[in-house]
Amino acid sequence: MPFDSHRIHDIPDDLLAAIDYCYEQGWTDGLPVIPPVLDRVHAMLAYEGRPPEAVIATHPATTLQLTVHAAAVNAVMAGCLPEYFPVLVAAFEAMDKPDFNFHGSTASTGGSAPLLIVSGGYADDIGMNADVNLFGPGNRANATIGRATRLILRNVFQMIPGISDKSTQGNPGKYSFCIAERARGNPWPLLCQEQDYPEGVSSVTVFAGGGFCNVENHGGNTPEQILGSVADAMANYGCITLGQSVVILAPEHMRIVAGAGWSRKDAQEFLFAHAKRSIEGMKSVGKYRDVEYDKQHGPDAHSLAQPGYIHRGLGPDDILIAMGGGDAGGHSCFIPSWSRGRGSIMQHKPIGVCIDCN
Amino acid sequence: MQLYDPTASGAERTLSRAGALAAIEGKTIGILENGKLNAPEMLREIADLFVARHGCTIHAVYSKSNASAPAPAETLAQAAAEVDFLITGLGD
Repeated sequence: MPFDSHRIHDIPDDLLAAIDYCYEQGWTDGLPVIPPVLDRVHAMLAYEGRPPEAVIATHPATTLQLTVHAAAVNAVMAGCLPEYFPVLVAAFEAMDKPDFNFHGSTASTGGSAPLLIVSGGYADDIGMNADVNLFGPGNRANATIGRATRLILRNVFQMIPGISDKSTQGNPGKYSFCIAERARGNPWPLLCQEQDYPEGVSSVTVFAGGGFCNVENHGGNTPEQILGSVADAMANYGCITLGQSVVILAPEHMRIVAGAGWSRKDAQEFLFAHAKRSIEGMKSVGKYRDVEYDKQHGPDAHSLAQPGYIHRGLGPDDILIAMGGGDAGGHSCFIPSWSRGRGSIMQHKPIGVCIDCN
Repeated sequence: MQLYDPTASGAERTLSRAGALAAIEGKTIGILENGKLNAPEMLREIADLFVARHGCTIHAVYSKSNASAPAPAETLAQAAAEVDFLITGLGD
């Protein structure tokens, strides 16, 4: 049975015309979509245990609601296979946490995009790419889960470019920004393990990412050299704030860091300690604010926060580090937080299971 | 061919604006600043114009801890109870 017979569009039985019809309705991200025919949506819904009318997320400013059904419709349009659907649902459950602030992070001139990082066995189960060309095209799961996220923001939450999405420049991740953490050859615990999910439970982490910065280093041979170049990228004047960070270490870089015995915590502490700018430097570019310095150096200051400097983030835990990418190449990346501060805090949720719900 | 609609469903929502003040002379002003650089200064400049030109009184400056999130309901309720009108806007 249809979920809502009043919201079904009867159109001529012509696939290409249906694609054009979706354009005409304003339902696309600019690229063609799969017309959301009923049987494909029903197949998507079969991967979610809750009823179609169950609410996954609510827009804090407009109170528009994302139902399981609406998520499934947009997932079909993005090109998702049904087995991808639990990742998309978990991502919006994570984004629905108030501290993620998905209204602000999707409406702002800052132009961030929700980055989804899938960790654990489910990524392999659905054929996600954690390897070569990690952030690039070529993998259906990565591409379409990220794309479905954008279509939901556009179609359900009405974050329309130029109207409610006021991004000054946006970023390419606003088409799709979804990766898997690489498990193969990873010397560190996976994110889902660090997040304390039970064994066998995968997770998705969402982060309002303000872009993508490649960190090239083919000459460094020590953790300090590799992470020193990452820290320098994190502290560039264009994006240093009190905000959080995501760092995806290439396997080649990871081998150097972990091979020297460094843990994730060691790397986080090094990056926090070194991703900093002096007060004078911040003033030289007009970006120094007393309130931000006081927030970082007040009574709750982290012990690595050096007086006289603005560090990126409030402490090492504000830096998520994971491994991803192909075996060859000294190319890691730093993804800055949206805009200038702590308006959005990254969140995570388990995939396909209910752990902390009622 | 039948397609599901991908936009939000649900009951129509009714939104309304507060009624306009009949006059602003002598009214009490609140300022809602969003925490961005120079926001309080800019909004106070505006409020001062109402003080000078219309005999208004500035009662309070309310602050948002997160510029991009909606103001907390309790902040809006407090402002509604304490002032006749509120001045807000983006300061940057």
